Amino acid sequence: MLLYNLRLSWKSLLRNPSLALLTVAAIGLGIAVATSFTAIYYLMTADPLPHKSDNIYYVRLDSWNPERPFNDEFPERPPAQVTYLDATAVVKSDIPTHTAASFHSDLFVYPEDKTQHPFEVSVRLCHSGFFPIFELPFAYGGPWDRRADEGPDRVVVIDDATNQRLFGGSDSVGQRIKLGPEYFTISGVLEPWRPVTKYYDVLNASSGSPEQAYIPFLHVRDMEIATDGNTQGWKSGDGEGFAAFLSSESTWVQLWAQIETADQKARYQTFLDAYTEQQRTLDRFQRPTNNWIQPMREWHVEEGAVPPEARSMMVISLLFLAVCSINLIGLLLGKFLARAPEVGVRRALGASRRAIFLQHIVECQLLGMLGGVVGIVLSVGALGGISTMFLDDVTLHLDATMIAIGIALALISGLVAGIYPAWRVCAVAPAIHLKTQ
Amino acid sequence: MLRMRNITKIYRTSLIETHALSRFQFEVEPGEFVSVMGPSGSGKTTFLNIAGLLDTFDEGHYELGGEDVSQLSDVEMSRVRNEKIGFIFQSFNLLPDLDVFDNVDIPLRYRGMPRKERKEAIQSALETVGLSARLRHYPSQLSGGQQQRVAVARALVGKPGLILADEPTGNLDSAMAREIINLLEQINDTGTTIVMVTHDQEMAHRAGRQIFLLDGRVIDIRDEEAKPLFDPDRFMPSMPTPSLA
Repeated sequence: MLLYNLRLSWKSLLRNPSLALLTVAAIGLGIAVATSFTAIYYLMTADPLPHKSDNIYYVRLDSWNPERPFNDEFPERPPAQVTYLDATAVVKSDIPTHTAASFHSDLFVYPEDKTQHPFEVSVRLCHSGFFPIFELPFAYGGPWDRRADEGPDRVVVIDDATNQRLFGGSDSVGQRIKLGPEYFTISGVLEPWRPVTKYYDVLNASSGSPEQAYIPFLHVRDMEIATDGNTQGWKSGDGEGFAAFLSSESTWVQLWAQIETADQKARYQTFLDAYTEQQRTLDRFQRPTNNWIQPMREWHVEEGAVPPEARSMMVISLLFLAVCSINLIGLLLGKFLARAPEVGVRRALGASRRAIFLQHIVECQLLGMLGGVVGIVLSVGALGGISTMFLDDVTLHLDATMIAIGIALALISGLVAGIYPAWRVCAVAPAIHLKTQ
Repeated sequence: MLRMRNITKIYRTSLIETHALSRFQFEVEPGEFVSVMGPSGSGKTTFLNIAGLLDTFDEGHYELGGEDVSQLSDVEMSRVRNEKIGFIFQSFNLLPDLDVFDNVDIPLRYRGMPRKERKEAIQSALETVGLSARLRHYPSQLSGGQQQRVAVARALVGKPGLILADEPTGNLDSAMAREIINLLEQINDTGTTIVMVTHDQEMAHRAGRQIFLLDGRVIDIRDEEAKPLFDPDRFMPSMPTPSLA
């Protein structure tokens, strides 16, 4: 009966193609808008490392002012970042599978080719564990050796765009580049890589591009590289200048760990608590012990890694789709009621109300499906436009899940638009129309 | 085949009640060919709608083929219509988007009959009405008489025990009307019961029995006082008597 109803629905669409086109266009427009914004929200909230995100933890230590909590609204929360002192001490632990401290800065690159001007690149200072934790994709070479975390070799990982600019995209591993005042040897070149959210640093422009160069964390001290990200502190350090900043209670370093087992996590927690207990003897960590090993996704949620505008736009786009569907109710009601004489004949020949209802619902679903296809095609174009205009070289696309969601939304729209008209037409008294047809 | 006892049908508005059928008594034996006549407003169409389970009634009792159909659900009524009743209408009521085959196919679709059986039944019905060569013609490509023959095939295809025909020759010229009435006689000869509403005296007399309706009641034709009412020359419309609600 489904195929029969589909055939009748198709004939019905052909009977009045302009009305069918109008209906399909209305659903298609609604689906395009809804699917596009739902896709953006979905991509922004998608797990960046679904196979291992449960094993990635953000480490937080409560070194804050004993007089008041870091966050007055949520006093139980430790500071969002850790101090330089704590980062460099805690990162030495070998309990996690991988661990890394990192922060964002900027440096100038001085090309060997003197015809090229120096240019600024965004730089992430981090430990070697950063690369396996976040699975940065390498085109050539790889991360530096763990020994390089301690110096003295100066090594760097550069991104694809920088490699294109300096070396024409060739394998530049082993080549040297001058970053700031120092020369660095390239240990690896990344593939073109642009996650929708910078999931390893949601505190600083989480929707921005990843850094163009990565150098070992220890150079913060010898090159006196200041952070370009958020810094929050409550107590100055000893001495003066950059050394004082490093010894202060300013929090500006992000600390990550990859932990595989509950036992590993428990041991790491014990280690952190022991560390802060030890620091108490140095007149630090005067607040109650409150050290967090926070799952990455939980940290993302707490920090609002997805802009609230994305959620609002998704809700508005779904409401727009609902308005499109509701507007179609009148159109379909007129169309279906004009068919009352045919319904009368079918009822006389043995069609139950349910059969008539289903026949018309199938027609609505066919309209919804066609609208869904149109909407998804429009959505692909719209996402391309949004990517180009607003999202700085992120390529938004519809995957199979989003296409399925788009089609499901289209079918729901068809149902919303058609359920009342279908109910009305199946309730038509057949006898009235048999005599007047 | 069909037995109605004390059927009452009242059409109500906020101000008025109109008794379309009043304690209506009617019985048709299996295999009969009965014509129903009466002036406009006498209740013929209401009777036919109730007989075809296309309308409900307020009081009374209705048996069709031995089955009490007075209190059936919509699904059950649809099943009875589909299996036991064939309809022929004055204006043919073929669906213009469907060709001859698909029009005749409609009742079988709702019966859920397998494709092969449907095809055979449709072929057979169309052969009966002499239109087996016009399977893929659309109603607009057929004459009025041919369209009515398609409608007869559609009524026949499910092999119902009862055919209800509402002015089946009303939209046809006399030659075509004779063709249709001949066809109905042939169908009746195979044992199918036919109840035909008509205004046409000649057609009515082709039926084995004639009944006359007036003001929602069956009138005895042997009643000499009633006879003049059915004289074709004095065939005047008679409205049902309204009474204030």
